[in-house]
Amino acid sequence: MDKKTFLPVIDLKWIVISIAVATLISFTVLPMLYLIFRSIVVDGVINIENYREVYNNIVNFSAFVNTFKISITVTAVSLLISFPLAWLVGRTDLPAKGFFRTLFVATYMIPPYVGAIAWIQLLNPRVGYMNVYLQKLFNLSAAPFDIYSFSGLVWCLTLFYSPFAFITISRALEKMDPTLEEASRVSGATPFETLYRVTLPLMFPSILAGGVLVFIGVASAFGIPAIVGMPAKIEVLTTRIVTYVYMGTGKGIREATALAVSLMLVANAILYFMTYILGKKDYVTIGGKSMRPNLVELGKWKWPITAIVGAYGLVSVFIPLASILVTSMLKSLSRPVSFDNLTFEKWLAVVDNSQYMETLSNSFITASIAATAATLIALFVAYLLVKTHAKGRRIPDSLATLGGATPSIVIALALIITFSGEFGLNLYSTLGILIVAYMVKYLTMAVRTIAASLSQVHSSLEEAALNSGANWLRSLKDILLPLIAPSIVAGWFLVFMPSFYELTMSIILYGSKTKTIGVLLYELQTYADPQDASVLAVVVLTIVLLGNIILRKISKGNVGI
Amino acid sequence: MWESKYVNQNKGDLVVAEVKIQSVTKMFGEVKAVNDFNAVIADGEFVSILGPSGCGKTTMLRMIAGFERATYGEIYIGDKLVSSSQANKFVPPEDRNIGMVFQSYAVWPHMNVFDNVAYPLKIKKYSKQQIMEKTTRALELVHLEAFSKRLPNQLSGGQQQRVALARALVGEPRLLLLDEPLSNLDAKLRESMRFEIKELQKQLGITVIYVTHDQAEAMAMSDRIIVMNQGVIQQSDMPEFVYESPANQIVADFIGLVNFIPAEVSAENIILPSINHILYSPGYRAGKALLAVRPEHIVMTTAENIGVSGTLLHKFYLGDSIDCRVAVKKEIIRVIGKASVYQHFQSGDEVTLQFEKIMVFPQD
Repeated sequence: MDKKTFLPVIDLKWIVISIAVATLISFTVLPMLYLIFRSIVVDGVINIENYREVYNNIVNFSAFVNTFKISITVTAVSLLISFPLAWLVGRTDLPAKGFFRTLFVATYMIPPYVGAIAWIQLLNPRVGYMNVYLQKLFNLSAAPFDIYSFSGLVWCLTLFYSPFAFITISRALEKMDPTLEEASRVSGATPFETLYRVTLPLMFPSILAGGVLVFIGVASAFGIPAIVGMPAKIEVLTTRIVTYVYMGTGKGIREATALAVSLMLVANAILYFMTYILGKKDYVTIGGKSMRPNLVELGKWKWPITAIVGAYGLVSVFIPLASILVTSMLKSLSRPVSFDNLTFEKWLAVVDNSQYMETLSNSFITASIAATAATLIALFVAYLLVKTHAKGRRIPDSLATLGGATPSIVIALALIITFSGEFGLNLYSTLGILIVAYMVKYLTMAVRTIAASLSQVHSSLEEAALNSGANWLRSLKDILLPLIAPSIVAGWFLVFMPSFYELTMSIILYGSKTKTIGVLLYELQTYADPQDASVLAVVVLTIVLLGNIILRKISKGNVGI
Repeated sequence: MWESKYVNQNKGDLVVAEVKIQSVTKMFGEVKAVNDFNAVIADGEFVSILGPSGCGKTTMLRMIAGFERATYGEIYIGDKLVSSSQANKFVPPEDRNIGMVFQSYAVWPHMNVFDNVAYPLKIKKYSKQQIMEKTTRALELVHLEAFSKRLPNQLSGGQQQRVALARALVGEPRLLLLDEPLSNLDAKLRESMRFEIKELQKQLGITVIYVTHDQAEAMAMSDRIIVMNQGVIQQSDMPEFVYESPANQIVADFIGLVNFIPAEVSAENIILPSINHILYSPGYRAGKALLAVRPEHIVMTTAENIGVSGTLLHKFYLGDSIDCRVAVKKEIIRVIGKASVYQHFQSGDEVTLQFEKIMVFPQD
């Protein structure tokens, strides 16, 4: 064979991959390093002056403590709820398991701030629907619940972040070799002895991993703490960071960087803690041929448990959604809910509002571009990871994971200080900076999905194409892409949807012409018109629902937010 | 060293482990995974359930263990009714006092070897001293006493298999169920484990039900083989009978190698149109049939002898034997014989075949 035709094939592959990697490094690692640099360098010298100044302010210090307190409480409650639910769905004869499984992960695809809006409508101490109803029902002198409190905040966060734990635990439970439990039963152990002597210890690593996901998710959350916590005067790191950025001064930004680095440290510390513990206790429990677990019969407990689980689903998913829908259709917010107080007028007004529609289109454009670019990069990152043996092939994937694991607010702040012209690139207040932020944060979703499907394609298929005379790009186009097409579309949606309704990063990255739907909803709810917020929330929920339906169709039920 | 056969310390437990399976059917939706299974497995007997994958053998075993509920029928272990569709009775696996070994071993990765084996005793609340003694004895039985502090991930597949075996035996069950226990091991280890399991069974005198798709394994170990296909028992016999006189075409095909030739049976003869040959062989029922001849029951000689004439197409040298393909009219017949006998034949040679032993399966 002629050498000249062979060499460029190799080169092309590496050029394409290098471009993907270079993009990743410049938008992920460099901004974060620069953020750390800015937080510890004041007037050209390395010192901790910034941190001292920030934490001398009692509000910031208590925000730090609150972040810890809230994250730990929510994590604990989430695990206490999620393990039993995962076990009930995965290992017992609970009826309608498919329905319950979907229900328990439903809040995962609802934007958290929409949930916060719903729960304020329901548990507002003065006019919350649920409060008013319960007050009447039990003839109480005062509202039984106040959403604007520590427990209200924990309640709301638990509903929206516990699916992280539920998903992790039930996936591990599904993959676990059921004969490990059967061996215990045949040894004489009852189902419950088996649960706590075999299942629970074996699930420990996954329970821990689920807990860490919840902890980091809650510590990085902005929507719920801002909408529920701030009116209750409960500040957390994310809300303080946004407040400082909004000051718009150099000092404000500087103090924000110190808080952001603190948040990053908290998240990383938890991650390392988990890796350390898991390093000692990582079991391989996958295997066996009978993957149909022996189902524990709940017997006389079957219907009481079903009722409790059903009530949880009703309260956590259906009631909040109904509340949003009803609020969006009320003629008058001050009159009670009844059929003659319902109308579609508000919906028409919202559709007619050109400012709202422009915001929606901003979100569509940024999310689409971010999803397309991320999918493209993810394809090369996943290829490098799964299909090559190059040294450092895991680096781009780790970078993507790093972006996903970094609190959104930290990414956004790092991008602001890095791309405001300081290094010759000024993206400030453009759609561009939003796109970059979404890409950095959600790239890992696309990489995971595409890598999983790439690893199912045996490399001999690609080798056969090369052997038949196709070059690398041609074999990619003719062989690999058609085989993994569903995962590429799924990866696109997995980036598009969270980008579309993103709030935490958008709130400090948007400019006067680049407002996004998340920011608009937050502003309407907090300052202007909560009813318009409800109408727009219905729009967002509809789009998310459609996206998920498409996603499930494409991946045949394997992928969904 | 083990407790003698009919003494059992667990009060109330069965002493004789005869397993009686009466008209057991298992439905998965519309599919009959096991169809009207009837068998009595005597105390101390080693019985294999043999069949291709998906034939229902594992489902049957799991019903005996209590992991699946029979849709119809009754199962007795000893004189205890453990599963009955009519009486709506079902004893859960933990109350059946059975030892079981799984294909994937199911050794718990979070416990060391000792704790894995001691688990059934801990569950039954034995004293510390008894646990120590019995577990140590069970480990000695499988030659793992030196490994008791190891974690499963520090053991080879064969060692994990022994842990599973020790755990299944430690509670001194009268009945041991084995679900393809050797199929994840390499060929050499598999053969030595066959021997060890058989020895253990003889030594302890327990009843064993062994599920496998490997006929050599079933032949070597069993007192009796139950051949299953598509949920139905095809034959239940001693290994030599299953091989020498298979009950039907399916068993003949599944156990060992066989040539099938279409046949017309008349009062005294078997007519084989496809190879243009007639065998004088009275006593078979007249009508359409299938003649089955095992390759090792055919003698291949040179062309001048009397018999079925054909042409040697290929011969494959297998070390101790030679595997030949002989074209006879429209059929290709497989012949296997000693290498020393067949080595002088060449491809293309005209040969004569003589059938030493035949089986006839009626087709209508």
